[in-house]
Amino acid sequence: MPVLEFKNVSKIYKQGENEVQALNDVSLTVEQGEFIAVIGPSGSGKSTFLSIAGALLNPTQGEVILNGKNLHEIKPKDLAKVRLHEIGFILQTSNLVPYLNVLDQLLVVKRMAGKVTKEDKQYAIQLLQELGLGEKLKKFPEQLSGGERQRTAIARAFMNNPSIILADEPTASLDSKRAFEVVQLIAKETKLRNKAAIMVTHDERMLEYCDKVYRMEDGRLSLDETSTHKK
Amino acid sequence: MYLAIKELKHSKLRFLLIGAITVLIAWLVFILCGLGNGLTTLSAATLKNMDADYVAFEEGSRASMSRSVISETLVDDLKQQSGVEDASPVGATSLTVINESSSDNEKVDVSIIGVIPGSFLEPEIVEGKPLQKDQPLEVIANDSLKKKGYEVGDTLKIEGSLEKMKIVGFVTNETYNHLPAIFTTLDKWRSIQFAAPGSNKGVEKPVNAIVMQGENINAEKLNKEFDNIEVVTKAKAIQGVPGYKEENGTIMMMLTFLLVISAFVLGVFFYVLTLQKSNQFGVLKAIGASNRFLAKIIVSQVFLLSLTSVIIGILLTYVTALILPDEMPFALDVKLVILYSILLILISTLGSLASVRRIVKIDPLLAIGRVE
Ligand SMILES: Nc1ncnc2c1ncn2[C@@H]1O[C@H](COP(=O)(O)OP(=O)(O)O)[C@@H](O)[C@H]1O
Ligand SMILES: [Mg+2]
Repeated sequence: MPVLEFKNVSKIYKQGENEVQALNDVSLTVEQGEFIAVIGPSGSGKSTFLSIAGALLNPTQGEVILNGKNLHEIKPKDLAKVRLHEIGFILQTSNLVPYLNVLDQLLVVKRMAGKVTKEDKQYAIQLLQELGLGEKLKKFPEQLSGGERQRTAIARAFMNNPSIILADEPTASLDSKRAFEVVQLIAKETKLRNKAAIMVTHDERMLEYCDKVYRMEDGRLSLDETSTHKK
Repeated sequence: MYLAIKELKHSKLRFLLIGAITVLIAWLVFILCGLGNGLTTLSAATLKNMDADYVAFEEGSRASMSRSVISETLVDDLKQQSGVEDASPVGATSLTVINESSSDNEKVDVSIIGVIPGSFLEPEIVEGKPLQKDQPLEVIANDSLKKKGYEVGDTLKIEGSLEKMKIVGFVTNETYNHLPAIFTTLDKWRSIQFAAPGSNKGVEKPVNAIVMQGENINAEKLNKEFDNIEVVTKAKAIQGVPGYKEENGTIMMMLTFLLVISAFVLGVFFYVLTLQKSNQFGVLKAIGASNRFLAKIIVSQVFLLSLTSVIIGILLTYVTALILPDEMPFALDVKLVILYSILLILISTLGSLASVRRIVKIDPLLAIGRVE
């Protein structure tokens, strides 16, 4: 069973008289263990695509199936639960909570779900060590570098053991050395834990770690044969 | 609660400042509450202390002793009525006395309360002996007069009259019309109050009011049955004491304003904070936080802040009470302090609902596709 499936998904933004077709008949499937990249110029619909995949936005047409569940059929008030348990977000800027230390940034996800157990804490520390943050557990976001913050955000995305990781331009605010590091770590964790991951980016250099590359142009999604076949 | 406390600790200065404001407000609330309580005690303690349920006044006197003159002969008729368990007459006059037994001749304003010795209207003595039916000279006085040097055995002269009185005992917490009360027999009180011929308006055995016991008294029925009296509850009678309503009203108004202000100050502060944190909340929602989870952070922060402020406010108030001069009518009532603490915390916490509403409206979509 695919982890995520888009079936002929379209999204039209209405602003008064104007209509913007942000997604146009997008279909794709993402399997377990796959790391997929979606590239495309600014304004092509990448963020819209990711918002729909992440149960933050309803498509105008088509169906989105996450782990066999049609998102369309889930009540709006239960969508937060779906995001909490099945999706891990990595956002453009790390968006950490300013008053929590690195370890608590991960544990807050568990607090949202209920309680924090000893095992949760153990798991969080293990994740942070894998991401090279073993020494920074008690640091606050303001004491971290941009790369460290983004790595904390990656760890947070994996904390709730989701089935799919969604990353929206995770390297946007990093220099290229840190950017490579971060993408590499997302790839490593995805393989290690056998998750599915989609990374949206407009940076072509980041594609070498991805299994498949899709190209977004004016809301249309197509498999990029050349980038994909280089592997 | 965990996140709420983490944030309070992380942004100490910010929360200390708003906490300081709420402490000041709470402090003022408790001081006003003490003053209000002190003032109402001063103006109507004697009436409040009475173990009574209803009071009968003269028709048209609007429940005020000073405007009411009725006949003591009504007592027996009232006792016959269903629901009336006991009834006893009372009279009150304010005047000035001079202590003849003391050398400094200082004048003191007092309220003379005439009651039947041994009736339920005569308060318990804390010193000396109670009133006697056949001893019209003997009176019992409020113990606040002791501070002015009055003692058991002192003889008091009433200014502008030949009447004299002898203190035989003391009672406590008995003030009426803002003045310390002196209890006399009803006959003695009459000879003082109606000294001028004709001042009793021709009423036989005049008194100011008749106080009744009996929870099941039907005031309306009594009003119909008796032509020239109006029967009201004790609470209504207290409202009728000169100045009581005005003082109480003023203080209640200030207290209400303060409660609203405290809710408003905290409410606005947290609302602005919430607006500032829209992105943060958006991100938390995107990664799966429910509205409930986020609302709990804000509500528990407001609750913790107001709780701490109220506790500090109470401590400050008790310290203030030690410093205030004795003449200030300041009386803290633990029950009232608890009541206003709960009100303050409750209303402040309600003030955080604006922020909660704001949080519910935040779209987690905010988190996606934005570069800071
Ligand atoms: N909330 C919105 N309302 C109206 N138009 C929008 C909204 N969000 C995005 N768009 C438009 O949809 C198109 C795709 O936007 P987006 O998904 O953000 O692209 P990308 O992430 O690739 O830059 C753009 O033309 C953008 O202006
Ligand atoms: Mg975008």
